[in-house]
Amino acid sequence: MGRRIGEFLYRHHGLEGVLYALPFVSLWAVFLAWPVGYGIYISLFKWNPMLGSKFVGLANYAELFHSLRFWNAVANTFKFAGMTIPLIIGVGFVFALMVWGWGRTHRGAGIIQSVLFFPYLLTVSIVAIVWKWLFDRDFGLVQQGINAIFPSAPMLLNSTVWALPVIAIATAWWLSGYRMVVLQAGLEEIPRDLFEAAAIDGAKGHHQFFHIILPLIKPSLLFALVLTIISAFRTFGQVLMMTEGGPGRSTEVLALYMYWVGFDYFDVGKAAAAGVVLLFMILALTLAGVKLLGLRSELQ
Amino acid sequence: MKGAWRVIKRALPYLVMYGIAFLWVIPVLWMADTAFKPRSEIFTIPPTWILSHFTLFNIKRLFTQWPFLRWLLNSLIVATSVTLGSLIVSTPAAFSFSRLRWRGRDALFMILLVFMLLPWQINVIPLFFTMNKFRFLNTYQGVALPMIAMPIGVFLLRQFFINIPKELEDAARIDGCSSFGVLTRVIIPISKPVFAAFGVYMFNFAWNEFFWSMICLQKKTMATMPVGLSMLQGAHEIDYGLILAGAFMASLPSLVIFFFLRRQIIRGFTLAGSGSKG
Repeated sequence: MGRRIGEFLYRHHGLEGVLYALPFVSLWAVFLAWPVGYGIYISLFKWNPMLGSKFVGLANYAELFHSLRFWNAVANTFKFAGMTIPLIIGVGFVFALMVWGWGRTHRGAGIIQSVLFFPYLLTVSIVAIVWKWLFDRDFGLVQQGINAIFPSAPMLLNSTVWALPVIAIATAWWLSGYRMVVLQAGLEEIPRDLFEAAAIDGAKGHHQFFHIILPLIKPSLLFALVLTIISAFRTFGQVLMMTEGGPGRSTEVLALYMYWVGFDYFDVGKAAAAGVVLLFMILALTLAGVKLLGLRSELQ
Repeated sequence: MKGAWRVIKRALPYLVMYGIAFLWVIPVLWMADTAFKPRSEIFTIPPTWILSHFTLFNIKRLFTQWPFLRWLLNSLIVATSVTLGSLIVSTPAAFSFSRLRWRGRDALFMILLVFMLLPWQINVIPLFFTMNKFRFLNTYQGVALPMIAMPIGVFLLRQFFINIPKELEDAARIDGCSSFGVLTRVIIPISKPVFAAFGVYMFNFAWNEFFWSMICLQKKTMATMPVGLSMLQGAHEIDYGLILAGAFMASLPSLVIFFFLRRQIIRGFTLAGSGSKG
């Protein structure tokens, strides 16, 4: 009997394929795909599940685009992305080069790699707690160190200028390790004889970097970049737990703004609209990143 | 003179590597240090490094005033069910997307790819109302269900399955295997490394997820570790001894597991990373 069902399904391949994909696809459809559509739907209403919602068309979006606070959040999001993306990729790449380059000839590179990777395994709450404490205005270790060198330095986490960079540094500490591992795997794939051949031809270190390493590591770099763009633009936990968006609103990023509007002011429609804007912004940026780097590497 | 230069040149890589590694562990050391210091030592200028007044005061308060072990249990339940659940649904789906033909397959896969670029946490608001309808807020299933069907899982496993030689499948089919047989007797046994990698990735992801978890789990006893820590921080604004004790105890499981399995864990993340860049 079981055998016959198997044969039937094999002959009707289509049905079988759908059957195997069904558990995943239905879960995905209900809990990942549907909320995107539902979010767009909610964003068209003055949402009030208790007293009844009212359709308002694009009014929520219009309200957003006229809100200075929204644009402040957009600006902060881009500022934060502009700081964290190069920082995380840069630090990750330098670490990868270090562990890869010295790994075979120097002892302890494996331990070093583990130490640099470990923060990635911590949850954002731990990262935020530790770094907030390091930069505590009165008793923070780093803040005290800075004050010892520059007596007139501001309290960094309480400064409208410095709070966002501090969060960016904490984020780099947290996330660079994973980029290191990804990029290191890319470096390991480069055949070693390429470097030997280049050395025989008299290519210097920086030539090897630009003409061998960079072109060949592009796929890994692209993956790390996409990963980092996404995580930079959806940043939430660090900011909530380190500054709550302050001082003033100088660190209020879009995800946090959306959270306040939705769960503090209960302006659900407007928060959903902010979510939709953020979602499509991320999609556009990652696709642009893929195009930019992906196409170029294919042309070569 | 030349000899000295050579020594420096020899030592430099070590200095750089260990210097950076030391910088990188300072936050963790400082966290541990604070967790075991009495209040009087925490708030001092200049800071004291050495555990001159070692105390378990903060740790004790953590366990008596907060349901810390419950948070640990919640995290364990959520992360384990997300990991197992995603392996169970993603494996046949990846098999279907890589080895079976059906109409709409490639179009659907493209849609899944696009969804890989959308951070699902941004949907917390519609997700909140969806889960509210199911009465799933403050439940394990509520927090876990959106994390199970991640497109990245199907993508990763499919990438691996595609590279399994077709001859193996054909041989099994000639021997009378149905597709189910091919999946369970051919594909699954040789895919153990990628399952391990994906499992490590998913467990870490679910263990650390914060945004959706804090929206979904607002009851103190239902919180997972990340959410519990934010409650702890919210309730004790400047009681750094207690907060840091919580952070330290919360990082302890990761620290211990990583200490014993660091090679396997890093290999898992490497595989997950290099597999999905494809």
